[in-house]
Amino acid sequence: MADVGRHPRIELLAYSEVDNVTGYVGNFTVTVRKKARYVDVAECTACGDCEDVCPVTAPDEFEIGLATRKAIYQPFPQAVPSAYVLNIDECLGNNPIACGKCLEACDKDCIDYDDEDELVDIEVGTILVCVGMDVYDPTTLDEFGYTRYENVITSLEFERLINSGGPTRGHLIRMTDREQPRTVAFIQCVGSRDASRGNPYCSNFCCMNTVKDCLLIKDHYPDVDIKVFYMDIRAFGKGFEDLFQRSKEAGTVYIRGIPGEIEEDPETKSLRLYVETTTEGGVNCHEVDMAVLSVGAVPKRDSDMIQRLLTLQRSQDGFFLEAHPKLKPVDAATQGIFFAGCAESPKDIKDSVTQASAAVGRANRLMMQGEVKVEAITSTVIPDLCKSCGICVKVCPYNAISCDTKAKTPAVVVEAACAGCGACSAECPFGAITMKHFTDSQIDAQIDAMLSDNPQDKVLAFACNWCSYSGADLAGTNRFQYPANVRLIRTMCSGRVDKRFVLRAFAMGAPIVLVSGCHFADCHYINAVHWTQRRVEKLWDELEKKGIRPERLQLEWISAAEGQKFATVMRAVEELRQKVTRDEIEHTRKVLADVLEPTGVVA
Amino acid sequence: MAEEAKFCCLRCGAEFLLPYTPGVTEERTCPNCGSNSVRRKKDK
Repeated sequence: MADVGRHPRIELLAYSEVDNVTGYVGNFTVTVRKKARYVDVAECTACGDCEDVCPVTAPDEFEIGLATRKAIYQPFPQAVPSAYVLNIDECLGNNPIACGKCLEACDKDCIDYDDEDELVDIEVGTILVCVGMDVYDPTTLDEFGYTRYENVITSLEFERLINSGGPTRGHLIRMTDREQPRTVAFIQCVGSRDASRGNPYCSNFCCMNTVKDCLLIKDHYPDVDIKVFYMDIRAFGKGFEDLFQRSKEAGTVYIRGIPGEIEEDPETKSLRLYVETTTEGGVNCHEVDMAVLSVGAVPKRDSDMIQRLLTLQRSQDGFFLEAHPKLKPVDAATQGIFFAGCAESPKDIKDSVTQASAAVGRANRLMMQGEVKVEAITSTVIPDLCKSCGICVKVCPYNAISCDTKAKTPAVVVEAACAGCGACSAECPFGAITMKHFTDSQIDAQIDAMLSDNPQDKVLAFACNWCSYSGADLAGTNRFQYPANVRLIRTMCSGRVDKRFVLRAFAMGAPIVLVSGCHFADCHYINAVHWTQRRVEKLWDELEKKGIRPERLQLEWISAAEGQKFATVMRAVEELRQKVTRDEIEHTRKVLADVLEPTGVVA
Repeated sequence: MAEEAKFCCLRCGAEFLLPYTPGVTEERTCPNCGSNSVRRKKDK
């Protein structure tokens, strides 16, 4: 941290928040709110005189409430810049009965009660998202008695407790009597690997953190008995198994089973853990002096805001989603943005450093090139048709379109930011946006060609390039059988499937139309697939109003790995096709005849 | 806790309850046949 603070080419903006991000790869403008510190960073020498005289005490966030700090404080001992910060909400300085003691104590006149937040705009080419994670709050797991029993603490609290710079200067004590515990229990997977009451995923680092803590205790206090209650010990990294074996050899007892209940002895404040041991069977009671809940990782609280600012994707677990798990593991879907550390998924220090190095390398490569290759398939606005309604701006997952709806100027697409999903084109009510290589007229021509003869015998399916079309490929290479009368039209994203295409297919005599795309979590274009679903839902209503059975428009999410599902879906829609009568098709043709009339727009 | 709404499957015709939040688009699957052609039944 000190090296970063001193580096001539690194500008460190501590105690700051990102307010807004605009622009695109190579040309981002980041608006940063530099929060008022009420202390002049350049003059403050962190002498601590102000802290000594401050009469206000508050829980120390860095020590997770195990110690107190003053209203004017250094966030943590190694903080960079090495300067104090004043929490104005806690300070008595501005109250009617003013305190002002810190002001008097500061020889360098660093303190300024009138300091204000400052907004600064920074021009950057790439952005690294390294926002870290939060830890699971075990208060809701009532059986462990966290916050009800003082001697039940979390692994993060334990970490501060045994840290030489922590509130006890590294001495292991239990909370109730400040005495060294004789027996310590660690309970693994608290908030992890439990979909019903926590999170379904494994938090990756908790097992090895516990193994490390056990070795530390055994090293400093060999007489302390340690019991670890676990489901599985996941020691999969380099040297981890060795560390695990060493902790067992040092005397740590590993018991397979998670306590179902913890009780406190009201007199001694010791804890009784009731555990069903899965290796031996039966419920046993273990009495310990202190229990440590090995809590899992959860996404950062303000992930929603970061996602919105940077147009990022998140996986089902809430962590940020990489562009590709194997080929682009540190890239975001939005060009020029990279991930490092637990922002992307829970990981230990080594993996975080590895990912950070990779992310920096990726960012550097981009910056050194000085130019980027943009997608060939991007959207283009036809200015004469644009009514400046702004729908495209709302639809675009990449914020690649701008439009001044008040001035009524045509929308503008930033090609460097456009990824080419085509959702804007499909949603534009005026046909004012088209996609290069996937124009309306090109897709219309495919529909017409596929349904030119015997349309009643065919199933027309729109498939997105990245998932459903690849699923079809997989079905083919795996020789999964599906009806030969399915006609596929590839679009880059299902979000490109304009409602007009579907209506045109029905007007041409298609008995069944299928729209298929990626599963929501896999969408290659952040959230463009959401627009597909909304559009299809509206189309079902519209078809019903026109007297056309909505069942004739099918919607399916098929991933690139689901070749089997693709074949199954095709067989299912073929069964539906056989139930569509010729009278129905003729009625549909008549109702939708106007769809085939030329609009005069060639897009 | 999200409220539930009645949905019907446009492939097999099954009717079922699923969590539903107005304005939120979610991937839905028919518990009977696994189809994603799941349509919310609106009160008439």
